[in-house]
Amino acid sequence: MSSKKWCLTLVAIVGIIFLFNGLGQALEIRDGKKILVYGARQPAPNIDPSQYYDWSTRMLQQSLYDALLKYVGSPPQVIPWLATKWEVSPDAKVWTFNLVENAKFHNGDPVTAEAVKFSFERTLKIKKGPAWMLLDVLDPSGIKVVDDYTIQFTLNKPYAPFETVLPWWYVMNPKVVMAHEKEGDMGQEWMKDGDAGSGPFKQRRWEHGVLYELEAVADYWRGWENPNHIDGYIFKLIREASSQRIAIQKGECDIVEGISPEDFDLVAKMPGIYVSNDPGLTTFGIKMNNQKGYTKDINIRKAISYAFDYDSLIKIYNGNAILEDSPFPIGLKGHVSLKDKMYRQDLQKAKEYMKKAGHPDGGFELEYVYVQGLEEERKMGLVLIDNLGKLGIKVKMVPLTWPNMVARGSKMDTSPDMIAIFATPVFNDPDVVAYQYHKNSWGKYYGTAHYNNAEVWKLTEQARVIADFDERMKYYEKIQNMIMDDAPEIFGMQYNRRWAFRDYVQGFVFCPMRFTGEIDMYPIYIQK
Amino acid sequence: MKRYIVKRLLLIFLTLFGLITVVFLISRVAPGDPARLAAGPDATDEMVEVMRKEFGLDRPVVVQYLSYFKGLASGNLGRSIRTRHNVIDDLIRFFPATLELTIFSLLLAVVLAIPLGVLCAVYRDRFLDHAARVFSVSGMALPMFWLALMLQLFLALKFDFLPLGGRLGLLTEPPAKITHLYLVDSLITGNWAVFKDALLHILLPAIVLCFPALASIIRVNRAEMLEVLNRDFIVSVRAHGVSKVRIIGQYALKNALIPTMTMIGLRYGWMLGGTILVETVFDWPGIGLYAVQSAVYSDFQPIMGVTLLIGINFMLANLIIDLIYGVLDPRVRYE
Repeated sequence: MSSKKWCLTLVAIVGIIFLFNGLGQALEIRDGKKILVYGARQPAPNIDPSQYYDWSTRMLQQSLYDALLKYVGSPPQVIPWLATKWEVSPDAKVWTFNLVENAKFHNGDPVTAEAVKFSFERTLKIKKGPAWMLLDVLDPSGIKVVDDYTIQFTLNKPYAPFETVLPWWYVMNPKVVMAHEKEGDMGQEWMKDGDAGSGPFKQRRWEHGVLYELEAVADYWRGWENPNHIDGYIFKLIREASSQRIAIQKGECDIVEGISPEDFDLVAKMPGIYVSNDPGLTTFGIKMNNQKGYTKDINIRKAISYAFDYDSLIKIYNGNAILEDSPFPIGLKGHVSLKDKMYRQDLQKAKEYMKKAGHPDGGFELEYVYVQGLEEERKMGLVLIDNLGKLGIKVKMVPLTWPNMVARGSKMDTSPDMIAIFATPVFNDPDVVAYQYHKNSWGKYYGTAHYNNAEVWKLTEQARVIADFDERMKYYEKIQNMIMDDAPEIFGMQYNRRWAFRDYVQGFVFCPMRFTGEIDMYPIYIQK
Repeated sequence: MKRYIVKRLLLIFLTLFGLITVVFLISRVAPGDPARLAAGPDATDEMVEVMRKEFGLDRPVVVQYLSYFKGLASGNLGRSIRTRHNVIDDLIRFFPATLELTIFSLLLAVVLAIPLGVLCAVYRDRFLDHAARVFSVSGMALPMFWLALMLQLFLALKFDFLPLGGRLGLLTEPPAKITHLYLVDSLITGNWAVFKDALLHILLPAIVLCFPALASIIRVNRAEMLEVLNRDFIVSVRAHGVSKVRIIGQYALKNALIPTMTMIGLRYGWMLGGTILVETVFDWPGIGLYAVQSAVYSDFQPIMGVTLLIGINFMLANLIIDLIYGVLDPRVRYE
């Protein structure tokens, strides 16, 4: 075949492909209804509010279900949702909630105190998902229906953060759940993919591994604030960061959550796209083993804390991060700024602490464990190698899968010298972070330092049972100072939470209490 | 022949038994506590124990092993501790996507590679042969991940020819589930709109997945064709005045196809197990992604299920290839 014929064949192939041209489009429209497309990296294999929660699951749960209270805004506020008002006894043990009377489940059943009781009991009995938040303080017998629209919780012991936990305890329709019960499983099998909620959206299409489609409940009991609210959304799985970038550029997605920091900066400059950029509550720290090896010595930990180049953390995130100034994240309720005391790079001080530790010239090796494939953590390891090298400390970088990291960090004997940890507070109360330094947190991923200070543990236990927040703050101020003095970890940074939106998507309200890529879709509307 | 097939099938059973045993042991000695991971990062010890008991992880390993085989006999592959779904349901959900992509890619590779290999041999050291050589070397050397992103960038974003990823458009409802292969099901039901949509969606991932296979099949087929074309019987046939097309099609190609078939069989297994990258970039909801996510979470039962399924497929494909040898070359005897 001659070269000319080959060229003609090639042109023909390209021509055929051209016939299929014109696929890309922004905002899906079905029967005149606006269906927004949200590109997400993580699937939601189980949406039962009693069994499972992570960011993707919680985003869908938030759309399908309502809770007594809800987190909104930044700094996060707890506002009434299914509850209209609530009262707490002076000892923070008895909590009484009045409910709205017009809330309806998706099948039309009213949301009553009986449904609230059932939902809390179910989660406590199943002992999965969010149960840990209340398992120690609430027994099913402590939940009482006062009347159809009043519910009372009597806790086993005073627990001041109770109200801050409630936005993550969704209310389910008992009739729907129990109609699907099999062999006493309280409907667990069905609820993985089922909908028993009263939220602003209901299920339309559930294709695991591909997409989840929800449609707006036209007569949602709380109404819709904006007449241009979305009529539904598709939670589309796009696992690769570069593919998400192309999807938002091309208009195949209207919102994406998982592109790289560099690409966020890039798409922010493109026409038709804007990028939100808000300070989050997720902290990055390098936890040191406080019980074993060289890092058991507080002087070595302080030397490392003073040797670390904190500004590099900001550079890794292209400036879209802030440095922590206390063991508690900036923006969390109860945070106290300890800016003047916070460790910052000071090689002179670092060397002094090395001397105090009896290792003026270093001469030993420390292990730094991080999540395999997480580029930011790898870069932080390179910074450690450079910084600690100046103290004569060698750093061995060990990438591990997350399960292996958790397994190693769970025991003090196997926990690495240094381990990279991102931690997000689950609710807006200082107790949630203070408790990460308690002995009871040893074995969990945020307890890998095996921090040991009985005084801090005692103060944490005392603070959580005091009802008056001002009184509690005196304890938390002390706790933050004491943890800081003990240098159990390199207190790192809080990176900004970012999403890329097509410019016609409006109404986004950032709330740092939501996890990684989670967005509340209820206030979103379209302005074209 | 029948005896040979029965013997091979028995061998497949034995191999699968060994495969399951090895994977079972490896998954049990690997570090990590699946019950703790599944219970969540904040779960109390009591919650972890609930999970351990529910999924039978509190029982001795030998009991778990025997129980797995007992379940297997009744078609029960256990439950995923991560998704809480039955593994068999997950496999039915995800495997057809991988199978469809693999078969389509392999067909694409075979349809393009065999004629190209023949033409390269016939027009040896001419423009086409050189071009195919460059193509083959690139096909084997280019990282699949890079190629996938480049094709997305140009064919999906820049020129808007093809969709970015997925099996169907966002608002397209899947066809009625008969074989679970969208192209086949839409054809059977005469749903042309879905067929067109599915075809457009499969093109990019299939091109990427078939690229290395295409390259290696071209090279093998070309080399075999050259060898066969220089054999005495071809000279003899040519001397008898048989046409060039007939010599190539009827005499040379048939003889050159045996090593090519071996390559196709190996490539099928490789494609089936190696779709993970393509599935990730193109969000193809297949078994590769499912397997990796399960491995990351130390989710034993899906890992066992995927191993079993891929093992069966690979072995059956090789059996079929071995049987095809006999059709291509009557001298091959099965004993």
